[in-house]
This record gives sequence, C-alpha cells and structure tokens, in this order.
Amino acid sequence: MSALQHKKVDTRVVVETPEGADFQFVIAGPGKRVIAWLIDRLIQAGIITLVGILKLFLLPFGEAGAGLGVGGTLIISFLLDWFYFSLFEAYWNGQTPGKRAQGLRVVRTNGTPIDASSAIGRNFLRAADMLPFFYTIGMISMLMTRRLQRLGDLVFDTMVIDERREWISRAGGLTANIEAIPRSECPRRFSVPERTLAVVERLFESDRIISEARREEIARPLSEALRKRLGYVDPQPDPHNPHIFFRTQGFRQTLFLLRVLKTFAENPEGTKFAAKDTGDKRPTSVAASRKQLLAAKTDDFVTSELANFLADDAADRGRARREP
Amino acid sequence: MPQTEEGLVVNRERFIRQRRSDWQRFETLVSRLRGNRQRKWASRDVSDLSRLYRSICYDLSLVQSREWGARLELYLNDLVAQGHNALYRSAPMSLSVVWDFFAFDFPRTFRRRIRAFSLALSLFLIPLLVSTFVGWQRPDVAEMIAGKESLEAARQNFGQELYTGVDAEYAGQRSQMAGFYVKNNTGIAFQAYAMGAFVGLGTCFILLSNGISIGMVTGYILSAGQPTTENFFSFAVSHGSFELTAIVIAGGGGFVLAQGILFPGQRTRMDSLRHHGLESLKLALGAGAMLAIAAMLEGYFSPLPIPASIKYVVGSCLWLLVISYLSFAGRGGPANEG
Repeated sequence: MSALQHKKVDTRVVVETPEGADFQFVIAGPGKRVIAWLIDRLIQAGIITLVGILKLFLLPFGEAGAGLGVGGTLIISFLLDWFYFSLFEAYWNGQTPGKRAQGLRVVRTNGTPIDASSAIGRNFLRAADMLPFFYTIGMISMLMTRRLQRLGDLVFDTMVIDERREWISRAGGLTANIEAIPRSECPRRFSVPERTLAVVERLFESDRIISEARREEIARPLSEALRKRLGYVDPQPDPHNPHIFFRTQGFRQTLFLLRVLKTFAENPEGTKFAAKDTGDKRPTSVAASRKQLLAAKTDDFVTSELANFLADDAADRGRARREP
Repeated sequence: MPQTEEGLVVNRERFIRQRRSDWQRFETLVSRLRGNRQRKWASRDVSDLSRLYRSICYDLSLVQSREWGARLELYLNDLVAQGHNALYRSAPMSLSVVWDFFAFDFPRTFRRRIRAFSLALSLFLIPLLVSTFVGWQRPDVAEMIAGKESLEAARQNFGQELYTGVDAEYAGQRSQMAGFYVKNNTGIAFQAYAMGAFVGLGTCFILLSNGISIGMVTGYILSAGQPTTENFFSFAVSHGSFELTAIVIAGGGGFVLAQGILFPGQRTRMDSLRHHGLESLKLALGAGAMLAIAAMLEGYFSPLPIPASIKYVVGSCLWLLVISYLSFAGRGGPANEG
C-alpha cells in the first residue's frame, strides 16, 4: 500500500497503467475549469468577431454575397456552440486552448485518452449542465461526485485532470520560497554529490514525523560539513532589519540544507553526474581529480553517517538518542 | 538483498543515483514531444520514450512497494502521468468511420431503439395533430396560445408565392435562412437530446412545445384556405421529411439517455449510463446530419417558384428516401448489429 493511497481527502484518483504501475491523477477543481472555460469563450467570441470582419469582404457581391455572409456566420456560430469543445478535445488529446492554458486535460476515468465520441457527447451535455444559469447543474453534479464530474462527464465516463504540478521538479514543493545559493557565495566549489542531496531530501520527507527542532539538530553535522565543502559563510545580519536574521537563526541549518537542495537538485548542472553527462568543462588534472575523490570520500562519510542516523531515528523514535 | 533498515536506506540512495539521469531525460523528452503530433515524432524518440516510460513505471512500482517516501513517489507519479498522456492517444478519426456511421451504425441504432423513437414520435405527433385541429377549427384559440402577431405573419407570408424568380435577392435571403435553420433547428434537436439527462423530462417538454407550436401554425394556415394552404404544404413537404423525422430521432436519443439513468437493467448504473450514452449520442449525431440536409433543402429548394406538383413529387420521394434509409440501410453488411 503506497503512502499516498491513504490520503483520500484530496482529489486524487488512482489509475493502473497497462504497464502495471498504479499512478495517480489530480482531478481539476472548478476554479481552473471556470478559467479555462472563460478563455475558450473569449476565443469563440474572437472567432465570431473575425468572421464578422471577413463577412465585409462579401459585400461587393451584392445581396447574394451579404446573405451568404449572414448565413455563414450563423452556421459558424452554431458549430462553435456545439462542436468547438468537442473537436478540440478529440484532436488535441482532451484539451481545448483554455484547458491547455490551464494545464487541464480530459481523460476517461480509467486514465486512457478520450475518444471522439466521448468528446462530442460530454460537450453535447453542456446544454444540460448549463441550466438554469452559469452551469448550476454541472456545479451541483461536481460537488456530488468524487471525480468532480458534471453530467456530461458522468454519462460519457470522463474526468478533467490537472496536469500542471507545482512540484514538477524534485524538490519544488519544499523549496518554493527558498532562495538558491548564488555561485559567488561558494568560493571553494559549487557541487554537491547526488547522494548527499538524496539524504537531504529524505530528511524533509513529508511522511517523516519529527519536530522542527529535532530536524535542525539532525541537520547540523551535514550542514556544517557542506558549508565547509562549499566554503559558504552565513551573511551577517542586515543592520536595517535584523529581526529576519534572528528569526531564522533557530533554523539556520535546515534552511541552509533547503537552499542547497534548491540550488543543486533543481539545477542539474550543479550536480556531479550531470556535469559528467554534459561534458565537464573544468580542467581535470590528476591532483584535482584526487582532491575531488578525497572530497567525495569525506562527503560519503558524513552522508552515510547521517543516513544511519536517519534510519535509526525512524526505527526507534522516542528512544534515547545518540548525540552527533 | 537483506531488508535491514540500513540496507534499505542505502539502496534507496543508490536507486536514485542510478535512475536519476533516466528521469531527467524522460522529463525533457516528454516536454519536447508534448506539443508535436505523434505522427511527427522521430522514431528514435519514440523508442526512447517508450523504453524510459516502461522503466519509470517499474521505478514507481518499486518505490510504492518499498515505501521509499512520498515525495519521490509523487515525482515518479507525475512522470508516469505525463508519459502516459503523451504515449496513449486514441486513434485518429478517419473518413471511413464517418462512412460506416451513416451507412450502418446510425440506421441500425435507430432500429434498435425504435421504442424510444416511438415514444418521442407520440409525444411530438399527438400534440401536433391536436393543435392543428384546434388551430384549424378555432383560430382565435390558436391566436391566444401562440401569439397573434407571429401567426398573422406566417399567414401573410404564405398568402402569395414566396418568390417570383431566382435572382440575387433570392440567393441572399435563402443563404441567410439556411444558416438560420442550421443554427436554430439543429440547436433545438441537440437541446432535445441533452435535456434527456434530466430523466427525459426536458426532452418531453421540448417535443411537446415544438409539436404544439408547429401544429398551431399549420392549423391556422389551414383555416386561411387556398392559396395559403397550398403554398404552405408545398413548401413544407420536402424538407419536412428530414426535419421532422430528425427532431423526433433526437428526442428519442434523449429518451435513450434517460433510460440509461432510470432503468439500468442488468448493468450497474454507471455501466448502463455509458452504454446508453453512446447509443443515444449516435442518434443525436445522425439527427444533426439529417437536419443539416433539411436546412439546405428548406433554404434553397422548398421556396423555389416552381409548380406545387413538382414539389409534392420531390417531397414524397424524399419521405420515401428517409423512411427506406432508416428501415433498410445497414441490414446485412459487415458485423451485423454490431
């Protein structure tokens, strides 16, 4: 049983792929769907305006041309009313321009892509969802279903998923409001081994229940070793508003680790193997490589120490703790 | 591998270290390919993508089974979701699907759902006949119900020949009207279908109200006597074949939808909804196509200044065509009743 499957409160739906992996979709909420809908309506209005302008070019052909223009406009507005959403969803794999802008997609409830008939059907039933005004029926239906489906979704077995994730990068959610460390503040070197990053990440795992103070305590040895390695020195308090400095002082170790995570986990150039992948531009003399090897060794030492520590902590939380 | 606490942690780190590059490659590949059509993907990209996708599916299962942390799981989950949506798309529609639909699927579905059609027909035809009779015998009642101005306008309209010749004025006005018929009539038919979602009540309402209003006009014009009656019927007979039938078919589609909600039978309700939803949609789409034909007929053919007898002959042929299409098209042929 995965850790995520316990969380039934949020709007996630588990789907099994043909490859046998269970993965989850995030169901799109009404807010984003309304914005997507507004964008699509704007586009429709734009098309109608454009057609209205093009219609003027038919005027020189006399009454027949003018009539053709009016009739054509009516047909186009009919097509927009009933087929705009469905044709886009059928050909753009479940997206309309508005949905694409909002990172939404229509899929079937088993996670497979939507086919043309479902796309047409779910959008025909918009006419029912729209009643009596502004999608009232659809909203009620969404409130009553786990997958937030309106009537059209229910009948044609589709759901709207939210594809845009904040934490698309590995540590995004953690380090959302954290500044990266500028290169100039790390005079000694500007890389952290992948393995250390993984340990840091594990320290901030959301399923790990430890107090902030305890985390700070655990973070200290690694944080200090990393500072030494990077040659990073904490800045002095800003004399104009020193309270920021003092407020964060109690968590300076965890904060630093988060900044490291932000800097190196999200920026693959900073990590070791990625540098190997893209071709390292730095001179690799024998001495330098030996030095690197040594550094890696010391790092490994600290990391494995910390890894043991974390494992220990998880295993017998609450027992007498070793002091680092 | 022994599952000690220490071994687990070290394994996890090794796992991340080894697999990280694949994940990043996959991420860049997906974001690069996402905008493009699948047909335009390079073959190397495709094989890379599917290989990476499968391996990441495996990674996700591994992380899930070993409980290697929610954050890692979320990350892999997202990768799989992205890859899944990039790789799996439904087959593109082709023209042969459209042909199959009209040659086989639509008439067959119609015959399969003849009971829903009959219900819709009675809800449309009975009020139509009754209100025709009322409008014919008691034009004052018709004026009260349907509004005097519109009825008067209709009667005046059909008081003389609609057009005297085919000229620019004719072409202009008729194009305009054809567009209007497409938007209005097909809109009504699709509404009648969609309102089936309210357990068929909305469909009933639309069928009844349209039956009554059409009947009122017909009866009112009947009461006006010749040549108004002649003008009206010769106008209505040709496109009526497609138009009236299609509106009733769309209403029948609405009832099929309602049937899926109300009477699931042996299926679960969700299953029944899906099954009936698809069936009813076929009826609505077929009706939509028929209404497009009707709009063109009504726009350009029906008001032609030609002798009424020709219009009656053509009109009866069209009625025969519609009836025989719905009763006989798609019998035999591939995958009968599929």
